[in-house]
Amino acid sequence: MRRLSRRRILTVSAALLAIWLLAALLSLSMGSVAIPPGKSLRLALQFLSGDSGREPALETILFSVRLPRVLLASLVGAALALAGAVFQSLLRNPLADPYVLGVSTGASMGTILYIVLVASAGIQATGSLSLYGRPAAAFAGAALTVATVYFVAGRSDRKGEGSQRLLLAGVVMASFISSINVFLLTSTSQADLRGIFYWLIGDLSRPVDASIYVISILVAAGAFLLYLMSQSLNLISSGEENALTLGVEVPRVKVSVYLLASLVTGAVVSISGPIAYVGLICPHLARMVLGSDNRILFPAVFVFGAIFTLLADTAARTVVAPAELPVGVITALCGAPLFIYLLRRKGGGW
Amino acid sequence: MVSADFVALEARAIDFAYHGPLIRGFSLVLHPNEVVGIIGPNGCGKTTVLKLLDGILSPSSGQVLLSGRKSLARLSRKEIARRIAVVPQNGGLPGYQTVFHFALQGRSPHLSLLSFESAGDEEITREALRLTHLERYADALVSEISGGEKQRLLLARALTQQTPILLLDEFTANLDVNYQVGLVSTVVRITRERELATLIVSHEINILAAFCDRVILMSEGAIRHQGSPSEVLTETNLGRLFGIGFTVRQGNNRVPEVMPLILGEQNERVSDR
Repeated sequence: MRRLSRRRILTVSAALLAIWLLAALLSLSMGSVAIPPGKSLRLALQFLSGDSGREPALETILFSVRLPRVLLASLVGAALALAGAVFQSLLRNPLADPYVLGVSTGASMGTILYIVLVASAGIQATGSLSLYGRPAAAFAGAALTVATVYFVAGRSDRKGEGSQRLLLAGVVMASFISSINVFLLTSTSQADLRGIFYWLIGDLSRPVDASIYVISILVAAGAFLLYLMSQSLNLISSGEENALTLGVEVPRVKVSVYLLASLVTGAVVSISGPIAYVGLICPHLARMVLGSDNRILFPAVFVFGAIFTLLADTAARTVVAPAELPVGVITALCGAPLFIYLLRRKGGGW
Repeated sequence: MVSADFVALEARAIDFAYHGPLIRGFSLVLHPNEVVGIIGPNGCGKTTVLKLLDGILSPSSGQVLLSGRKSLARLSRKEIARRIAVVPQNGGLPGYQTVFHFALQGRSPHLSLLSFESAGDEEITREALRLTHLERYADALVSEISGGEKQRLLLARALTQQTPILLLDEFTANLDVNYQVGLVSTVVRITRERELATLIVSHEINILAAFCDRVILMSEGAIRHQGSPSEVLTETNLGRLFGIGFTVRQGNNRVPEVMPLILGEQNERVSDR
C-alpha cells in the first residue's frame, strides 16, 4: 500500500512527460517527408539553442507544420481525458465522458452556431471576437447541453439510478445535437463538405489561429482548478451524502466541476470537433495502473490523454498518406475494442 | 472526567418541514461521555433528526449548537466534519477501494488543500481498524467483505475522523444479534475511552436499553419521552408509540427487557385505538 505523496505524483508525471516527449519526437519524424528521429532531435536541440537555419526545408516541416500539430493534439487529448476522468468520478459511472454526456457535441454546436452567425452577419471576426468568440461559443454550447441533460434526466431517489439516467439523457442529447449540427452545416455552407464531415468526427488538420493561446490558457486554468477539487471528487465518488458528512460542500463542488469540465471540453472542441473515446479510455487505463485516487489520477491522465491523442493523430495523418484520416476515426478504432476489453475484464466496474 | 453540564451538541426547539411538518419542537442536549438512543416507529423522523444535527438539513426554525454555543449553521461542511462523524445506514459502498483507503477517507476533513495523508493519519486509521476488528482486512477490497464488516468499516471511518460527537443511524440494521451486540458495545467502549457524545438511532430496543445512558422515544417528529431506559421503556409508553402490546420486565442491573406481544388480543385492542 503506497502512500500518496507529492513526490510520487511528480515522479509519475515526470515519467509520463518523458513518454510524451518520445511520442512527440516520433510524431515529428513521421509524415510524407520522413525525418529520422535522431535528426529531428538534433534539429530540435539546435532550434532550441538558437542555432537554426542549417536545413531550412526540414526545419519548416518540423517546426512550422508538424510541431503546432503535435502541440494541438496534445492539448486536445489532455483536456478531453481530464474531463472524462472528472465526469466519471463526479457521476460515479465508468461510462461517463464528455462525448457520451453530449458535452462535446454541445460544444461543437456552439462553435458551428458561432461560425454560421458570424458568416451570415457578414462580420469580419477580428480582435477580441476572433480570440474569444469561438471558445466562448463552444463553452456556452457545452454548458447549456450539460444543464439540459441534467434537466432532462430529472431527479431520482434510488441509489445509482441518477447517474444512469444522466448518461442516457446525455446519449440522447448527443445524437439529437449531432443531427442539428449536420443540418446547420449542410444547409448553410456547401463549400467544404469533406472538411465539415471530418470536423464532426474530430479532426486536427485545420490550421489554428491565435485563439489557440486563449484556449491553452483556459485549459491550463481549468485543469488547475479541477485539480484543487480532486480530493472532494474522491469523496463524492463514494457517495454524495458520504461526501457531505466528510466535509465536502457537495452542491458547490458539483456545479463548479460541471462548469470547469464543460469549459475545458468546450475550449478544445471548438478547434478539434468532438473526438470520441479519449475521455473514456484514458482514465480507465490510467486508473488500472495508478488506482482511483484523483489526486494522482488527474495529472497523470492529463499527460496520458496527450500521449494517446498525439499517437492517434500521428496515425491519422500517416496510415493513408498522402491522404489524412480524421483523428476521431483512429481514437474510435482503438478505443471501442479497448473499451469492450476493459468492460469484459472488469465486469463493468471501475 | 468531564462535568455533566458541559454540552457537546444541543438542538433547541428545531422544526423542519418538507411537504408538511416532519420535525416539531425537537430539543436535545448531548453531553460528552454519554450514549443516547432514539427509538421510534418507521417514518417518525429519526433519520431526519440526525441530518439536522449534522447540518445536512437546515431547520426551518430553532437552531443546533455545538460546544461553546457555536451555531452549526455558521460552520462550513469541513468544520462540521471535524466535530461530528456520522455512521450512515449501510448501503451502496463503492467496492473498488481497499478497506484501509476507505477508512482513511475519515482523515479528509483534517487535510488542508493540496496536502496528503501523513504517516500519522495512517496510524490513526490502523488504530480505528483495530478497534473495529478489521485490521486483517486492511488490504481487501470493500466489495470483498461481508455486510457486518462493511458496517464496522463505516464505524471505523467515523472513528478516524476523531470527532467529539458520533451520530449512528440504524447502523446495526440487517446484522445478526451477535454482531449487533458486538458493534454497539464497541461504540460504548470507545465513547467512554474518548469521552465522546454518542447518539444512536436504532430499531433494536433491547440493545439500546442495555447500552444507552438515556433513551428518547419519538413519534410523528416529536419527542414523547426522554430519560433513563428503565424510566422510559415501559409497557404503556412503548404500547402507545408502536400501537402493539409489550411486556417489559426488569432484568439484571435494572436493564429493562422488552418483548413485543406478537400474537394476542391485546394487540388488536391497541392497534384498533
